[in-house]
Amino acid sequence: MKSYDLITPEGTRDLLFDECVARKEAEDKLREIFTAHGYSEVITPALEFYDVFNNKTRSFKQEDMYKLTDGKGRLMVMRPDSTMPIARIVATRLRDGVFPLKLFCSQNIYRCNPKMAGRDDEFMQSGIEIIGGDEKRSDLEVLSLAAQVLNSCSSDDVRLEIGDNTFYKLLLEKLDIDDEETVRSLIESKNTPQLRELIKDSVGSVPEKRRYADILLQLPTLFGGAEVFSKAEKLFAGTALADRLSEFRATFDSLRRLETEDRINVDLGLVNKAEYYTGIVFRGYIEEYGQAVLSGGRYDTLIGSFGADDMPAVGFAVNVNAIAAANLRSNKSAKAKHAQVLVFACDDDLIEGISHCSKLIASGISAEFSTCQTLEAAIEYAKANKICRIDIIDKEKNEQPVTMTL
Amino acid sequence: MNDNKIIRIALTKGRLEKDTVNLFEKIGYDVSQLRDKGRWLILEVPGSNIEVVLAKAADVLTYVEHGVCDVGVVGKDTIDEHGGRFFEVCDLGFGKCRFALAGKVGYNFYEGCGVKTIATKYPNITRKFFESKAMDVDIVKIEGSVELAPLLELSDGIVDIVETGTTLKENGLEVYEYVSPISARVIVNPVSMKLKKKSIEELIDKMERNI
Repeated sequence: MKSYDLITPEGTRDLLFDECVARKEAEDKLREIFTAHGYSEVITPALEFYDVFNNKTRSFKQEDMYKLTDGKGRLMVMRPDSTMPIARIVATRLRDGVFPLKLFCSQNIYRCNPKMAGRDDEFMQSGIEIIGGDEKRSDLEVLSLAAQVLNSCSSDDVRLEIGDNTFYKLLLEKLDIDDEETVRSLIESKNTPQLRELIKDSVGSVPEKRRYADILLQLPTLFGGAEVFSKAEKLFAGTALADRLSEFRATFDSLRRLETEDRINVDLGLVNKAEYYTGIVFRGYIEEYGQAVLSGGRYDTLIGSFGADDMPAVGFAVNVNAIAAANLRSNKSAKAKHAQVLVFACDDDLIEGISHCSKLIASGISAEFSTCQTLEAAIEYAKANKICRIDIIDKEKNEQPVTMTL
Repeated sequence: MNDNKIIRIALTKGRLEKDTVNLFEKIGYDVSQLRDKGRWLILEVPGSNIEVVLAKAADVLTYVEHGVCDVGVVGKDTIDEHGGRFFEVCDLGFGKCRFALAGKVGYNFYEGCGVKTIATKYPNITRKFFESKAMDVDIVKIEGSVELAPLLELSDGIVDIVETGTTLKENGLEVYEYVSPISARVIVNPVSMKLKKKSIEELIDKMERNI
């Protein structure tokens, strides 16, 4: 039988030395931001019941999840996300707690990606949720934190992009379209030519409907800076969408006051996970990574779908691996460090060697006890690991350690 | 911010490449290097902010999805077969043909309740098509001339690209049903679209106006 004991499964990887430092550094930076803003960390199991993720409004595809069964034959998954577990906790253990709740999670998640697509099946995701807060205040807080997260990346060009899928939902209400999922995915992929074809067939000649169909067709093109609003305001004037637009613009304008203006963009064509998000949706991009590194939005019906009362909720998640990899590639993350001093002890002085290490460490110098058998081997080791100082302990010759500089 | 950055475009080698290069010429780009490319894989367009990469169709999707190329020109057939996370912003109109279900002349494909066997180079498109009809079919992946499969009675039908239908006719096959239209599309990486908005929109606008 073929044995696979020398490789890791597709989509997973070992992180060694600099890669590991970069990942930890990126994770710690996010944790610092979140705790400083009053968020409490929770850890959820990597294994959850399939049912936690299997619900129409929770938008996880069956084929995207790693599945296994427990001892009783029940279907379980490796968590593909941290928000569902948090919603489960809020709807159960925390349902009588003090709201609003501000939670964050920083843990690995698992996705079954198409084979050989070069995507990670296991990666670290760090994210926050505000549950039960006032909508306007929570939206602003979450957006400003998302902007801070992006700014903390070492990337030269970052962008936070905000949308609101209320517009899309209002439009769908006004137009009766049979194939909503196709329309949604055409808007998401900004495929205006095909969208035009599809809409043409399903909208008759009723003038009101034509108006809304025109707006729907424009949605994918309504992205960019503040100029998008003047275009949208003209387009939406006098329709059911106009009120929501002025609210949305207020959020956008306040955020722009807080942040470097050209880092905040708008995209009214953000319609991903339409059954799940119920208000603002947003994404963060960095120059070095080909997909969004941050993604979030408002999901007011999720907690209710776990049997509790509906509760306003908003949050986002960051792909920590992607940020770490970008930092590493641009040489902006810290390097893996070896000890400053290597301590080599002769056969009879081993315990003195160990206590000398402790003394050095206590005085703020990192020290490594050499496990090489000979001094020559220890010197080779020090050179290979760029350690410039060796302390040699040989009580027979010297009472004090002898320092050798390489 | 840096809206004058180079835009890297991946072109599908072969016919789409020729059509796209002609389109670039019409736009007014200097396509001398693109015509006389030798063994170069990354080609420059002098005096412009674009750079061209030639790749196999499915690789165009991969390069654009990962953001190492900002824009791609690729057939709808490849997009439908492989999928991916990118924007599909423009139909270039050339490279037009259709996916069709075909088989031996005179055979009633939908007759009977037995499970049919389909030979194809496009297993995903075939699966989706029959899924939409709630039909179970056996799909056999073929790499070369798919038309051979029904003639050798390996399959009841084929799903393949049909342009004029001549090859089918010459081999005693006919189209039973059209599956979907195909033409060359422009795809864009979602991050590039946002970070290089102005340059990319200008390029696409130029392409659309010169189709």
